[in-house]
Amino acid sequence: MKPGQTSVLYLYGISEGQVPPPSLAGVDGTATIEAVPCSGLVCWISRVAASDFAENLARNMENLDWLAEVGVRHQRAVAAVAELCDVLPARFGTVFISENTLAADVRSRKPTLLADLQRIRGAEEWGVKIFRTASPKPVLADAPRSGGEYLKAKAELLRERPPKTSDAELERFAAAAKAVTVDVAPGGSVSGAQPGLLWHASFLVQRSSRKKFQQLVEKFSREWQPQRRVECTGPWPPYSFVSRATRQATEGR
Amino acid sequence: MDTMFVAPQAEDDVSLLDILDHVLNAGVVLHGNIIISVAGVDLVYVGLNVILTSIETALRHIHQLPPDSRRG
Repeated sequence: MKPGQTSVLYLYGISEGQVPPPSLAGVDGTATIEAVPCSGLVCWISRVAASDFAENLARNMENLDWLAEVGVRHQRAVAAVAELCDVLPARFGTVFISENTLAADVRSRKPTLLADLQRIRGAEEWGVKIFRTASPKPVLADAPRSGGEYLKAKAELLRERPPKTSDAELERFAAAAKAVTVDVAPGGSVSGAQPGLLWHASFLVQRSSRKKFQQLVEKFSREWQPQRRVECTGPWPPYSFVSRATRQATEGR
Repeated sequence: MDTMFVAPQAEDDVSLLDILDHVLNAGVVLHGNIIISVAGVDLVYVGLNVILTSIETALRHIHQLPPDSRRG
């Protein structure tokens, strides 16, 4: 941020204990992350230019290059804090003008924040995606007699085929995963339209159960070959396990 | 390899989609409304409308879908 610019507080997350912050630049790639005591909790912030992150945030977010770059920095910052302490991640683009407005807002929803912090204690998030594997390339059975016939045959080949394994398999996986995880949440909509995606969810996993969870994912992945492919991402800070009450407390205003 | 385990730090397109999924869809929302700033007055900016619009835009670009194909 250039000298003389108005700054705002960009929030990464909220934790209970005060620990020394990571030495890492925040969303603007310049200002470092700070731990600010706030109504009895700790808010993880960096000071960024109001012009980029407040006044023009909406416009900037329409720019996918900007959104990608800053989104990745947001994730890196939250992840760095999550390595130091249990942190309730803030949603992208949560900005306050001053410590006072931040403290007031945290105070107003402290009971919910405390309940959420309790739930995510010692846990991390893992994302699981199950894809239908592309079936072997089909060939046209007979030599088409006309252009129209060719196109018809081609369209037939391109038509989506139902997966070979049934949805009962997905339910079996969900049930087995439930036994080694704390909670489950549906996957987000940005990557929800990836080609071939059958199922998509996030799990809240105690760090002590990480290995058990990974083994379970590997077991199902082996069993499902070659019809399905499993992709597992993590560990994430527990983004998807912020309670609905906390997320929606002000959405209806 | 049986399962593809990906660390969130991995720098590829799949990872970027996942990062946007996490940082845009979830997390604590402290103030849900956009409050227009007035010089010198303490206000909070940012809101869900902005974020939802951006997700729609991101989806259209990333998956290169025509504008209305995801509705209905």
